[in-house]
Amino acid sequence: MDAPAIRIDRLSKRYPRVTALRDASLEVATGEIFGFLGLNGAGKTTTIRILLDLVRPTAGRAFVFGLDCQRQGLDVRGQVGYLPGEPGFYGDMTGEATLDLLAALARSPVDPRWRRALLDRLELAASDLKRPVREYSTGMKRKLGLVQACQADAPLLVLDEPTEGLDPLMQDAFYALVAELRARGRTVFMSSHVLPEVERICDRIGLLRSGELVLVSTVQDLRRLAGRRVRAAFAEAVAAPASWPAGCEPIAVSPTVWDLRVRGPLGPIVARLAALPIADLDVQMPHLEEILKTYYADPPAA
Amino acid sequence: MTPRTLALAAHSLRRIRPIAMGMAIVLGGFQFLLTQVAVFLTRNRAFGMLASLVPDFIRSLAGPSMVAFMSFGGVVSLGYFHPIVLASLVGLAIGIGTEPAAEVESRFGDLVLARPVARHQVITRSVIVLVTVVAALLLVMASATWIGLACCTPAAAERPPFALIRSLAVTLAAIVLCWGGVALAAAAAARRRATAAGMTAVAALASYLVDYLGRVWDPARLASRLSPFHYFEPMALLTGGALNAGNVAVLLAIGAAGVVAGYAIFSRRDL
Repeated sequence: MDAPAIRIDRLSKRYPRVTALRDASLEVATGEIFGFLGLNGAGKTTTIRILLDLVRPTAGRAFVFGLDCQRQGLDVRGQVGYLPGEPGFYGDMTGEATLDLLAALARSPVDPRWRRALLDRLELAASDLKRPVREYSTGMKRKLGLVQACQADAPLLVLDEPTEGLDPLMQDAFYALVAELRARGRTVFMSSHVLPEVERICDRIGLLRSGELVLVSTVQDLRRLAGRRVRAAFAEAVAAPASWPAGCEPIAVSPTVWDLRVRGPLGPIVARLAALPIADLDVQMPHLEEILKTYYADPPAA
Repeated sequence: MTPRTLALAAHSLRRIRPIAMGMAIVLGGFQFLLTQVAVFLTRNRAFGMLASLVPDFIRSLAGPSMVAFMSFGGVVSLGYFHPIVLASLVGLAIGIGTEPAAEVESRFGDLVLARPVARHQVITRSVIVLVTVVAALLLVMASATWIGLACCTPAAAERPPFALIRSLAVTLAAIVLCWGGVALAAAAAARRRATAAGMTAVAALASYLVDYLGRVWDPARLASRLSPFHYFEPMALLTGGALNAGNVAVLLAIGAAGVVAGYAIFSRRDL
């Protein structure tokens, strides 16, 4: 398929009292794992619901594999597996009946071997599936939600907070599942609050703040943009230089410790440090969490 | 009708089965027992005594329907217009009609409509369930009446003809489906089932009272024409009148208008 898995074009959604989404544009390539980030109320779920035609945009358009999400909604939804943030399972239905009903609504028949593989991977036993969903823990409901989203093996998976409520072992199982989906050529579009998780599994991220898409980047580019943290400790007091090499920004400077942020190559600062009595040198890659917190808090740099 | 619509309808029917079966047992049992009450009153020649207990002004207010009610056929037919039976069936129809709002509220609708299911299929599903359940319940009521008449009625009793029972069932089905359609329209716009069901129930109650006022108070007669209950006239059937196809058509048209509004609203709204 030549068309991107997802394309949203100047998408806006206004409610009477609030603008949930403002002029957002984005493309997600086929086979990509895309993390969609933002604080509560930033517009992540609204965007997802527009993709599924559960909510109609005020302006702009959304496409999935080149199909208009509003005009060709049925065709779009035939190619999407969806995990809602709060799956509305009926408590009195068993897990198995829930999966069977939702499988009956899929475009193509569900392969029982694939479903079994998903259940095994997420450790949902056959005996669990015979129980009513009201007896499930939060994590089990999440697992059931993941299975129902993935069981039709749709080319695009839209997952809203997929690891919410999963224990660390199940989170690992989910990451392995995403790796398998990637290997099968599936596209995953997931919203998340968990930045280490996004850093671990996503190829690219988009960040929404108050309905505006303020950042779209690969994780690597974002790190590069943020720069590395260089901390040099000296065996004796040294004088701070009058000027710093290009790309080097002092964070905290004392006679015995320099704490710097370096964007770009490390060579110039290392060359300068080489002439000084270094006791210790520490270079840290920035965590996504640190970088994104600045975007959550402040308007993006012009 | 697509397999997905049928899958949804089968799911809804499974969910409502305990309530529907309970109502079938209660209403069927009630109809059967009414035939036995009528037999008992006939054997004790009590109809005349009962009629004499009713004050004259009530008798003149109610007209010939009172005479019809104080008869074997009237007692046997009571279930087809008794206010409690009517309220319970309308309540059931409101419950079925408001399922789309319940699914929006519980977010089960997200799971359904995130799949290749068109929104009109959700409404069509509710129509199928509504018609199926109402038809099944009235069939059970009519069957219970027939069984009661066939097995235990003395030959001398003035059994109501089958056509009367059928006409009473049809007119009762029409008023119930009418309110089911109204409930569907309300549910298509609501985010909560309680809102849709409450609005429809209040509208039904107000309509019932307006119709009642119109029947006993001339100044309210014109306004009562706006009430669907104005077109629900089982007493006319009991007093020997034929089934008024126009009245049935009005009730079904109101229900159909509700369904059409439901389709239009549900297909346009944000979920």
